[in-house]
Amino acid sequence: MGLISKVLFFPITGPVAGIRWSLNKVAQVVDEELTDDSSIKNELMELQMQLELGDIDDDEYVRREADLMARLREVRAWREKLGKGVAGGPVRVGSAREGEPDEQA
Amino acid sequence: MSEAQTTETAHPPLEGGKYVYCIIRSERQKEFGDIGIGRGQRVYTVHHNDLGAVVSDTPIVIYDPTRENVLAHEFVNETVMKEHTVIPMSFGTVFRSEEDVTELLRSTYQAFSEVLEKMKDKIEFGLKVLWDRDKVVTALEHENEEIRRLKDEISRHTSTSTYFARMQLGRLVESSLEETSQRYVGDIHDVLKTVAVASRSNKPIGDRMIMNAAFLVERKQEAAFDDRVKEISRKYEDILTFKYSGPWPPYNFVNIKLKLERAD
Repeated sequence: MGLISKVLFFPITGPVAGIRWSLNKVAQVVDEELTDDSSIKNELMELQMQLELGDIDDDEYVRREADLMARLREVRAWREKLGKGVAGGPVRVGSAREGEPDEQA
Repeated sequence: MSEAQTTETAHPPLEGGKYVYCIIRSERQKEFGDIGIGRGQRVYTVHHNDLGAVVSDTPIVIYDPTRENVLAHEFVNETVMKEHTVIPMSFGTVFRSEEDVTELLRSTYQAFSEVLEKMKDKIEFGLKVLWDRDKVVTALEHENEEIRRLKDEISRHTSTSTYFARMQLGRLVESSLEETSQRYVGDIHDVLKTVAVASRSNKPIGDRMIMNAAFLVERKQEAAFDDRVKEISRKYEDILTFKYSGPWPPYNFVNIKLKLERAD
């Protein structure tokens, strides 16, 4: 992650606002990388297809599924930490007030 | 009967959560047996007027989409589908309490009712079509004169001088493949659309798949649809592999965006 090292060694020159902006941007990019589960879900679908076609056996399926589940949980943990929505878990019908970020994990 | 089943005082509820599988129309409370997610939980309905949510008790947890869990979710929907038109819920939907489920039915009553009416006596089938790319390329080489000529040219010369011929060949093979796959997919759609109410194309999974479609079919057309699938898969049996599945609840044709939020 080149971006992270860039943040760590960011030369402290220029206006403070500029720095803050950069940090926000970087934080956003890191957020996306840590909290995007679509590639994991794609891999899971491919895995199922491979099993169905007989390309892999049951043992390999189970092993790789466990690995993908671990990654999904990791992503979920980050999403919760960053106050983003998670698929699954308890839900209720949305109330009238909107736009209130779900801060506490 | 259902009154006696309410055992809240005798046994502490499993922290009161409800896993929701699907929504059905039913005047009366229904039981579907001990087939729920987790360890074979009792599956039953929670009602608001004539709408029922098919649920089982669950602790408030997030269910991983493991094969075991997904199959449990699917099995319940398949069972309910035998007697009812269903609106499937996405995998892993857990409500905190029975009241929250009732509130879902109450606040979305109109939308659920309309969709149930639209989906009445309709089922979904999945059709994935895969090909063996190398086989198709070999076939293309036989059919396509230009591809043959370029291959000849490349094999007659030494490496450096054939650079552009190779590039050209690569591009030509790619575009011929694309064209061929579109022709196959178009043909398959044409054969099936006459016996389907609607169809939807999803993104192919992996690099061997050329078609990943869902078809909405009238229950009474099920046999006719089956026949057409068999017919078309016979036609292409040497080149294509057909993965046909269903009947499913109409996952690909129900699009209700529920305004759900997290309940912590």
